[in-house]
Amino acid sequence: MLSIKNLRAEVGGKEILTGLDLEVGAGQVHAIMGPNGSGKSTLANVLAGRSGYNVVGGDVTYDGQDLLALAPEERARAGVFLAFQYPVEIPGVNNAYLLKAALNAVRVHRGEQELDAFEFLALIKDKMKLMQMDESFLNRGVNVGFSGGEKKRNEILQMAVLEPRLAVLDETDSGLDIDALKVVANGVNSLQGPTRATVLVTHYQRLLDYIEPDFVHVLSGGRIVRTGGKELAIELDQRGYDWVDEAVNA
Amino acid sequence: MNETAIETCTSDPGAAASPADAAFRAALAVGRPGPAWLTERRAAGAVAFAAAGLPTTRREDWKYTSIRNLQRRSFRDVVPASLPDEARLASVLIPELPLPRLVFMNGRLLPGLSHVESPGLDILTMRETPADAGFVDLLGRLATVGDYPFAALNQGLAEEVVLLRTARGTTGLAPVYLLFLSSPSAEPVAGHPRILIDAGEASALTVLEHYASLGANENLTNAVTELCMAPGANVTHCRLQDESYTSFHIGGLFAHLQRDASLVSHNIQSGAALARLDLRVSLAAPGAEVELNGLYTMNGRRHVDNHTRVDHLAPHTRSTQDYRGMLDDKSRGVFSGKAVVHPDAQKIEAHQSNNNLLLSDTAEADTKPELEIYADDVKCSHGATVGQLDAEALFYLRSRGIGPEVARALLTFAFAETVISRIDIGGVRERLESDIAGSLPEGGLLRDYLRSPRPDLKDA
Repeated sequence: MLSIKNLRAEVGGKEILTGLDLEVGAGQVHAIMGPNGSGKSTLANVLAGRSGYNVVGGDVTYDGQDLLALAPEERARAGVFLAFQYPVEIPGVNNAYLLKAALNAVRVHRGEQELDAFEFLALIKDKMKLMQMDESFLNRGVNVGFSGGEKKRNEILQMAVLEPRLAVLDETDSGLDIDALKVVANGVNSLQGPTRATVLVTHYQRLLDYIEPDFVHVLSGGRIVRTGGKELAIELDQRGYDWVDEAVNA
Repeated sequence: MNETAIETCTSDPGAAASPADAAFRAALAVGRPGPAWLTERRAAGAVAFAAAGLPTTRREDWKYTSIRNLQRRSFRDVVPASLPDEARLASVLIPELPLPRLVFMNGRLLPGLSHVESPGLDILTMRETPADAGFVDLLGRLATVGDYPFAALNQGLAEEVVLLRTARGTTGLAPVYLLFLSSPSAEPVAGHPRILIDAGEASALTVLEHYASLGANENLTNAVTELCMAPGANVTHCRLQDESYTSFHIGGLFAHLQRDASLVSHNIQSGAALARLDLRVSLAAPGAEVELNGLYTMNGRRHVDNHTRVDHLAPHTRSTQDYRGMLDDKSRGVFSGKAVVHPDAQKIEAHQSNNNLLLSDTAEADTKPELEIYADDVKCSHGATVGQLDAEALFYLRSRGIGPEVARALLTFAFAETVISRIDIGGVRERLESDIAGSLPEGGLLRDYLRSPRPDLKDA
């Protein structure tokens, strides 16, 4: 589904990704782990198409098309979703509108009928129950006055509504208490399926207790330096990232 | 005294050259009917206007706003008020508002279109009841002629004066809708309406001043409102200025609040080639509080200037100011906001913010939030921004599949919405929302948005 070959990207003139390779197949969950500054968030932002992240080499193919050639909204409509590390507050635009506009943009792209207000409300109520969110969220400004945990939950709610084929979660676990983490993980798990894939970018192993990855990759210096199964995450947790750096440099 | 005024006028060598000045002086020289107190009040206005002349950019409070184009017009004073075309009237009137309603044409009240019956509320005109103590008490009490040349002019020409008065404890009144129309004519005309509001103790009142044009014109509206609030009075004052893009609008709103009185002011400026509002609020006793909300949207080469000043004269008073500007093309927006905390006005709160969104590279915003503090136990803040749409928010919306055109329109609209959503007067918010959407290049894309419920920003 997603094929990243020798990806090099720079931010502010500094090369952060230095030749990253990653293959993500349908039905798989990949965890990308690594210390601060290893390029985890850069990878997530490059995949979503954020400006300021300049790709200077390599290829990213999604479902056979050149992902990097698509505008951010085209990527979203094609089924790529980024759950932001720091979701932005947008006063004056309410959640219900954002969700409906986003969903209908995606549906039109897929050749499906737009949902009317009634159909949308029925759908959204289900999803909000899943995320244990109160309906009053709908009429509030996007992320305005939300706590850190609420913002992350809102990201997963959007994901649940849009049902992306490729979900990239950028440190969605950071700043969550254990109850919120469970809710978020439950939301993510409910969206897994044989035609979908998830890339979890995380610093800590904790999230992987609730979302089981098929592959764990360790990112260091802008490249994947080690790949393994779930046990790799546990080892990382016990021995720290220095251990990987030492092993790589040895 | 009137004679003296005219003497002073003609002997002033500086400003006498401009057609507007000459026209105003001629108008001030015309004798107007009325009781002695009124003749005196008018004369005081004329003297003050003659002494100050029309303001130039040499004055500190007019530094950013030149009235050169206004100076070139020879405004006619009195035009017989004609009834407006019904279809045209319907196109500007906000229909959801219940009565009472007063309709003015070029500064003159149109009794035929006005409905002044309102249980619990006095609506008086100075023409009919010039001896009412309310007029004598209020006219010129807050709009000090020495400080505001246009208010002095308005007072010198005072004829169309309306008094709104609530008795002690009166609440549950319907909003009063004051519609000021300006209509095209062969020569530009000047209207000088004056509104006096006497809000009785613990009464509640909502007033909408709506300034609109029936077609393109180069008229001047020079409106002054004086608002006296007794202890515990609660007033919502909303000012919508949507006049012809070639016209001139000068306004003044002067308010005085006694103990525990509470004023909410909404000031929306979207019309006129040149628009200026002086807004001055005195918080005279403990517990008085004011909230000033403003939005100005300009395009073309138009110019808007909002000057606010809040005086904290007593301890435990509170003021907040939130003014926002959206400026496109070569337009210019000026915000000058001042909060003055007088000696001994301890434990007060004064907050000010002014945010400007520049929609083109050639638009200009001048912002000057100021605090003058002579007390030491106070909580004050002020801030101002001038900038473009938030790139982070734009990317966020696009990353959810929303196209860049809609995202941009949405964020622009949302910027204005934070002010508009605070207006809770039947039909006003909806009117403003569709006006703003209509003014955006991609506004048509917001149709869906306008049909859906908007966020309740009071929660935020």
